[in-house]
Amino acid sequence: MIKKALGRSNVQTKKITCFFCSIFFLLFFISSANAQTGAIRGKITDSLEAPLPGVSVTVKGTKIGTSTNASGEFTLNNVPARSTIVVSYVGLATQELTLSAGQTTLNLTMHPDVTDMQDVVVTGFQRIDKKKFTGAAVTLKASDVKIDGVIDVSRMLEGRAAGVSVQNVSSTFGAAPKVRIRGATSINGENKPLWVVDGVVLEDIVNISNDQLSSGDPTTLLGSSVAGINANDIETFDILKDAAATALYGARAMNGVVVITTKKGRSGKLNIAYTGNFSTQLKPYYGEYNIMNSAQQMSVLGELERKGILNSDILSNPNYGVYGKMFDLISKPDANGNFIVINETESKAAFLKKYALANTDWFDILFQNSLVQEHSLSISGGSEKSQSFFSTSFYNDGGWTIADNVKRFTLNFRNNYNFSDRLTAGFLTVGSVRQQKAPGALSRVSNPVSGQFDRDFDINPFSYALNTSRTVTPYDENGELEYFRRNFAPFNIIDELRNNRLSIDVLDLKLQGELGYKITPHLRYEFIGALRYVKSTREHEITENANMANAYRANDNATIASRNKFLYTDPDNPSAPPVVVLPFGGFYNRTEDKLISYDIRNSLNYTNTFAEKHLVTVLLGQQVKSADRQNFSNTGYGYQYDNGGIPFVDYRILKQTIESNFIYYGMGKEYDRFAAYYLNTQYTYNGKYNLYGTVRYDGSNKLGSSREARWLPTWSFGGAWNMEEEPFLQDVWWVDQLKLRASYGLTASLGPATNTGVVLRSLTTNRTFPLERESVIQIANLENSDLTWEKNYQTNIGLDAGLFKGRVNMSLDVYQRKSFDLISLIKTGGIGGEPIKAANYADMDAHGGELLLSGRIFQKRDWGWRSTITFGYSTTKITNAKNQPIIFDLVKAEGGNTVGYPVNSLFSIRYNGLEHTTGVPTFVNEKGEVSPNVYLQDQNISNLVFEGPVDPKFNGGFSNTFNYKNFSLNIFLTYQAGNKIRLYPAFRTSYSDFDAMPKEFLDRWAMLNDEQVTTIPSVLEAYYRYLVNASGASPYNNYNYSTARVADGGFVRLKTVSLTYTFSQSLLKKFGLNSLSVTGVAANPWLIYADPKLKGQDPEFFNTGGVAQPIQKQFTLSIKAGL
Amino acid sequence: MKRIFLYASCCLLFTAGVGCKKYLEKEPDNRAQVNTPEKVSQLLGTAYPQANYQAFAETMSDNVADIGYDIGGSAGNVIHDPFFFIDTKENEQDSPEFYWYGCYSAIAAANQALQTITKASNPADYSAQKGEALVARAYAHFMLVNFFSKFYDASTAASSPGIPYVTEPENVFIKQYDRKTVQYVYEMIEKDLLEGIPLIQDKVYTVPKYHFNKAAAYAFAARFYLFKKEYDKVIQYANLAIPGNNFAANLRGWNTDYKNITDVTELFKIYAKATENANLLLVETSSLWSRYYYTSRYGLDDDKQSSIFPRPDPLTGGNFAYALYSLGGDHKLVPKINEYFVKVSVNAEIGLPYVMVPLFTVEEVLFNRAEAYAYTNNYAASITDLNTFASKRINNYSPSAHNITEARINSVFGTSNTRDGLIAAILYYKRAEFVHEGMRWFDLLRYKMPVKHSTSPDASGNVTVLAELTADDPRKVLQIPPSTELAGLPQNPR
Repeated sequence: MIKKALGRSNVQTKKITCFFCSIFFLLFFISSANAQTGAIRGKITDSLEAPLPGVSVTVKGTKIGTSTNASGEFTLNNVPARSTIVVSYVGLATQELTLSAGQTTLNLTMHPDVTDMQDVVVTGFQRIDKKKFTGAAVTLKASDVKIDGVIDVSRMLEGRAAGVSVQNVSSTFGAAPKVRIRGATSINGENKPLWVVDGVVLEDIVNISNDQLSSGDPTTLLGSSVAGINANDIETFDILKDAAATALYGARAMNGVVVITTKKGRSGKLNIAYTGNFSTQLKPYYGEYNIMNSAQQMSVLGELERKGILNSDILSNPNYGVYGKMFDLISKPDANGNFIVINETESKAAFLKKYALANTDWFDILFQNSLVQEHSLSISGGSEKSQSFFSTSFYNDGGWTIADNVKRFTLNFRNNYNFSDRLTAGFLTVGSVRQQKAPGALSRVSNPVSGQFDRDFDINPFSYALNTSRTVTPYDENGELEYFRRNFAPFNIIDELRNNRLSIDVLDLKLQGELGYKITPHLRYEFIGALRYVKSTREHEITENANMANAYRANDNATIASRNKFLYTDPDNPSAPPVVVLPFGGFYNRTEDKLISYDIRNSLNYTNTFAEKHLVTVLLGQQVKSADRQNFSNTGYGYQYDNGGIPFVDYRILKQTIESNFIYYGMGKEYDRFAAYYLNTQYTYNGKYNLYGTVRYDGSNKLGSSREARWLPTWSFGGAWNMEEEPFLQDVWWVDQLKLRASYGLTASLGPATNTGVVLRSLTTNRTFPLERESVIQIANLENSDLTWEKNYQTNIGLDAGLFKGRVNMSLDVYQRKSFDLISLIKTGGIGGEPIKAANYADMDAHGGELLLSGRIFQKRDWGWRSTITFGYSTTKITNAKNQPIIFDLVKAEGGNTVGYPVNSLFSIRYNGLEHTTGVPTFVNEKGEVSPNVYLQDQNISNLVFEGPVDPKFNGGFSNTFNYKNFSLNIFLTYQAGNKIRLYPAFRTSYSDFDAMPKEFLDRWAMLNDEQVTTIPSVLEAYYRYLVNASGASPYNNYNYSTARVADGGFVRLKTVSLTYTFSQSLLKKFGLNSLSVTGVAANPWLIYADPKLKGQDPEFFNTGGVAQPIQKQFTLSIKAGL
Repeated sequence: MKRIFLYASCCLLFTAGVGCKKYLEKEPDNRAQVNTPEKVSQLLGTAYPQANYQAFAETMSDNVADIGYDIGGSAGNVIHDPFFFIDTKENEQDSPEFYWYGCYSAIAAANQALQTITKASNPADYSAQKGEALVARAYAHFMLVNFFSKFYDASTAASSPGIPYVTEPENVFIKQYDRKTVQYVYEMIEKDLLEGIPLIQDKVYTVPKYHFNKAAAYAFAARFYLFKKEYDKVIQYANLAIPGNNFAANLRGWNTDYKNITDVTELFKIYAKATENANLLLVETSSLWSRYYYTSRYGLDDDKQSSIFPRPDPLTGGNFAYALYSLGGDHKLVPKINEYFVKVSVNAEIGLPYVMVPLFTVEEVLFNRAEAYAYTNNYAASITDLNTFASKRINNYSPSAHNITEARINSVFGTSNTRDGLIAAILYYKRAEFVHEGMRWFDLLRYKMPVKHSTSPDASGNVTVLAELTADDPRKVLQIPPSTELAGLPQNPR
């Protein structure tokens, strides 16, 4: 197979053909002359000594062949003496045996084909013999890393490859994990690796920035570019890490490359494989978290009442829970004129007691143990002339919460044709359809004024369960939905989740064609072309019954009207009371993203061996790539879901949006054009010394209209020394293989700036009166003729070893990376008209190391234990950047960037204890003074405390596989360390009776001198709250961003435990099956260690509301059958 | 066969190479292209400084006092630093640095427009746009040189450093600039202004009040020549700005229309409305001045208010018709600075506040002409202009009862030199008219007046001086942003 890919051939040019013909003829003649033929019988078994049916047994160089029967037995007739017998079976190592004279029986044990994957690195451009490869790359076999029941293939890499960090910032279907290969390379640009599937770059549907990834915004559901890939179709992952490995991706390769190779059909018997996964996910439960129960919560509410915070005034607040309901009932009689609650202590206490005992289990109400099913079927087979692979799958997740579910269908159809010995072709059709429902969510808005991220109408079930008081009840005593108040309108989460939903539809289709033509035995032409079309639609349906729609109609009294920000005040009549502008209906908001991309590549590949010692391979090629993206969004007002779908639009709601200069629909296009030329040369001397060099010349339109900046040459070279070939290691029995390799090169990536020419944007002016507004054009960015790509020089030194006769494999890499020309912001004098420019001037250093160690600890006939450990270390430091971050940029959970610190560093405001008289937290503020007030927009960051990077410095995994007879048990742990996490922002200046409080509040400051024993701030009395609010300070919010609210990010997680039983062949025979195995998998069952300060908060998860969900504990039963 | 393939692939490589250039010329997104006179007009919509000078100019002027911590709390740097004449590090809205950036952004838009026009195949079709671009470019430089360089004085202008006069778009990451001299900057302004004015055509504007219409351009010329002390030209351009001497009808109707507005929010809004004849040129600025100007600790106190708006007005004997409001009794204000709040999304509670700033008004043109008349010894015309002004500012104005005379002026200001009296009268009315708008600062510069910042009078009427500017104080020249060091600019002396 390797030979074929490298273009070495068994087909000759005319002259040589003639020559060889005569030799063949001669050989044939000789063998015919010896024509003693006979029958050979035998039995083929697997390593467990079970018979293997369907094994192909052929005589090399002839057409004689057969396959084994159900008992693994075969008979071959008319076999020439001393022939070579070839025994092959998919997934097992092919063996060749030359018959000894007079031999008539052949019994053979076949072993799994491990060499097949270990020996080749697939770069997407080439398949390179691993022995000759000089770069740092990891090849993972999908069947080894696949976690049954986990749908997103990018999550399978976690802990499997040293140097690859995968952080599950959200685990909602479609949301991408934060994947970093050797850490960050860019300060403001993207840091995610390039995904390549079957030689074609997989473009993202939407570009999601580093910070957006963890935002919980609905767009993140399109973040995972691999969400449409059926994990069962994948053969291997190749993770390319250093400059030599990624060189052929040139100016896109700075962040590393993950190459996915999908399965192909093979000639031979038709194979039908079915995989069925049946999973269920555990509901979260309060025991894991740190939330007050309803009795504890009610006692705090009692304190709030005594402190004058909970009184009948809360009826004018946007949100209320139990107390609000009580005051409402006191103030209003029911239909019969009776008061359900009267304003007397006894009556009130009776009312409250009911809720104090409620202990609502929101997790139980909003989450479910649903069944997740995944069925995948593949059929493959073919002849010498054509091979096909077909697969289809269906995935159905009924939803971990009551608000979400996913269906996904995939199709993969791949045909390869060998028209002649010279001409080959392949065609792929890959498609997927996704239908997903999620709770209605809006994008969050960063508010540096108060230091919060605001998201209106957030109904994320997970954050709702964590944040809603357990005194609030979903049903009343009659079993009817019970409503409290949010946004001045009645609110019940169950009702809201029914009436406020996101529907996401994604259609993803890829057509790919490949052509190969052998021009001479040494020269091969290859073409690969792919077209991909992705269309996604996101519908946000907010019915007229949704709280979000009713909030627009909350107009109960003048106080509410004046406070309700969803009502409208006519600017021409500012003193008139605000009015309702959405009298009927809800909203129908639609967002569409479209991607059309193509990728065409032509290449010539030359391979030749000179003097039997000098192996030369040259690859020359050209590539053209394009991706056009379109985004459309529209806000539809007044859609009446219950009334025939007729919109009712009050003109004033449009007037309101126009007057506030909000654009109620929009469309944007992006065009990505890419062209490149590349040349790669490999040279091997005597199988020992390898040299590898690549030059690539890339052109892109992304930098803007300037012609000079558009092109960039990148290059790399490397060398490898196969030391085991040296005489001095020939006799060392315990060294099977030892390779030292080194590489150096320049890689690049496009930064976020696009202004090689001036960038002009249209906008509508912000003027008070609509009639005075006009459409103007603004200089968004001045021309920067110095703009170029972000680049880095990478040095990598690695050592690969195979020791003790295949028992131990080791791979060690150390690297250093100097990034330069990184885009960062700099404050210029502003004389050109752009005070803060983004330009290529920043530098960053990174270094790290990786270790992979795997081995068979013991292997007996029935017993076996294999173990793999991966370890990665990476650290970055920004050595030059002149951006001026404000405090808020650095203290937020995602971290920020400033010179002298790692990329995405987390800083904190220095906490300085609680105030003696009020229990209000104090800090060292931006001026260096002790104060409850910190101005989060200040640029003086010198008083902040550096906590650590947000990205882990260390990460890896530890996998152990035990097998006993037909059982196989895998225990897989992952770990990370060296990073810091901002704790959940639990503290607020004021709390309503709707809010849940963490149990820390039980230790809060309650009286004078408590500050000496606790760091938990007080719940403010009404008067102090007034003072704090009046002073403009937000000490409670500052507390969330202080040194008191940081935890260590290190953890050890039991990622999976899986137990597989493989049915023995003898049993399967009865059912006509080839193979059958049953696997039980527990995914993420146990977080073994995490910082105790987290108190249940998942160290990977960013609880940002919206559509974000933490990773679930999932149990899967997987059945795999082959026919 | 193999040759055909070889040739074919070579051809493919070659044609791809040729096609690449065009292929890569596609802009990466749907950014705007400026290629028609209409598009250039749109680009010129941003050729006006979208930054507000009112906050720092007013706070540096003698219109403010320290109202005290108990009432005003502590003020942010944006207000605190100008009050104490500190070179502020603040670069957010309403800071001098923000204004510097605003002016140069406006200049960049004008230069981009001019470059487009030069490169166009039909430059003649762009003459109106060229006029606007030149005048807008002159205006932004004019404001910069007055704030950030030593105020124009014919005797020192050739030796004091100016500000970079930028005439072409910047196209490199860091470009070096030269401050040259105030003289040079003034010459360049005059050149652009005089070249631009005749080209301006009001008919190309969709919203003329937000662009250099003819009247506004003439008003700018009148102010320019007033600063340059070429008084004949002031009169010439003032007359062109308001043709037919039709000032009275175009002045703000404080004693008529405004008087009838009972709702203060209405009053706030009308001041910077385009339909007000008095407004010749408006610009939208990102600014919080509407919030600060009557809530900040350093502002118009009771004492300042009664000295700026004396009851009665000694020149006419009548009372001012200005709407004088107070907040909590201590902060005084004239409701004129209004906020337009643009939320970040339709239901957000955060957003950016904007203030519409009248850059040129009929009132200013009238004052400038009156001042020029005084300097050209046409005292009668100057007094007539003052009477025109008073006729729109005095309650129940009656020409007979409230007539301003030379004798009255001289007696009120205690002088026998009528010109001195006239100048004092003009500056006094101007101070009242433009309170909160920062215009006073320019008069303090022009007449090299010292400035004292004090506390509000205590119970016994005593004040403490907190900060002081002498006549020639170097701090009268605002410090240029420190980041201009990258562009090679020296700082102003301190």
